[in-house]
Amino acid sequence: MRIATDPMHQFQVSKLLDLNVGGYDISFTNSALFMVIGVLLVIGFLAFATSKMGTVPNRVQSLAEIWYSFIAGIVKDVNHAPGKPFIPLVFSLFSFIFIANMLGMFPYWFTTTSHIAVTGFMAIFTIGLVIVVGLMKKGLGFFKIFVPSGVPFVLLLIVTPIEIISFLSRPISLGMRLFANMLGGHVALKVFAGFIPSLALALGGLGMLMGGLLVMPLIVGVTALEFLVSFLQAYVFAMLTCVYLNDALGEAH
Amino acid sequence: MSQNDLDKRIAEAQAKIDAQERPKYMAAGKGMGLGFRMASDFAAAVIVGVALGWGLDTLFGWSPWGLLSCLMLGFVAGVRNVVATASKANQAVDNKGEGAGE
Repeated sequence: MRIATDPMHQFQVSKLLDLNVGGYDISFTNSALFMVIGVLLVIGFLAFATSKMGTVPNRVQSLAEIWYSFIAGIVKDVNHAPGKPFIPLVFSLFSFIFIANMLGMFPYWFTTTSHIAVTGFMAIFTIGLVIVVGLMKKGLGFFKIFVPSGVPFVLLLIVTPIEIISFLSRPISLGMRLFANMLGGHVALKVFAGFIPSLALALGGLGMLMGGLLVMPLIVGVTALEFLVSFLQAYVFAMLTCVYLNDALGEAH
Repeated sequence: MSQNDLDKRIAEAQAKIDAQERPKYMAAGKGMGLGFRMASDFAAAVIVGVALGWGLDTLFGWSPWGLLSCLMLGFVAGVRNVVATASKANQAVDNKGEGAGE
């Protein structure tokens, strides 16, 4: 009973395979399992979609094409021509987050993106990439993003720390948003769903009736919203990756 | 010269096609995405300010001034994040009309 109604139980990471290499615990967990399933699903689908390519695409191929051109469209929109080498990266990020979010929508399945270890790593990787690309393209001129042009020297003493804090807040914002949305959404779903057995236990038949008539439509609505959020978070993550890459690629703004 | 001309015409045609196809892909949830962005951008800047201030305090023993001043700076940075996002979104709408991307 406690497991059935505990909203946080679904986020527990459990070891499926104990592994210990050189003192580090690298056990294969349920989180890792769902990451592998997600990646295999994406690769499998794309391999299947591109196996029989035609000039006139069939249904699966056109789905893959829409998927790709959606991401390519975002990158072209934000980064224009210099962003082209980064389309595969943004595509991978979007696909991984999207499929992980969607797998998480199945009852009893694990949501990989509801753990800040995963989202935080992706965010830090993204910002690290921005810094590396920026330093490679512009050298030390990359640090000009902390010093806006046309600001008097006295104000720079205040503006530069603000810009630095603003830059440092990006990986946190990026990782926290995805993690918090997935965590919060799944907790809300579980809590609302838990109302039905609680009502039934407390009030018997009347409780079941109330649960069915009042709570069930709410759960259906929240589930639909969660599907929207699942897609939206992947989209926002992909788009922000492009926006941040613009600091490294684009001209001063 | 002619190659340049052709490139330009291809780019123009591509931009026209992109502009036509864009709304189809971007229809759902743009405003919601923007909202998520602003909220977490603001919160994250404040968190970074606190962490930075706390770190300075413990490193140099400035307590409580490091935390106080960096919290304020973080607050300002958060507002700046939100304003920058909002003004960029406004610009995109002004430039391309309704339903355009950023």
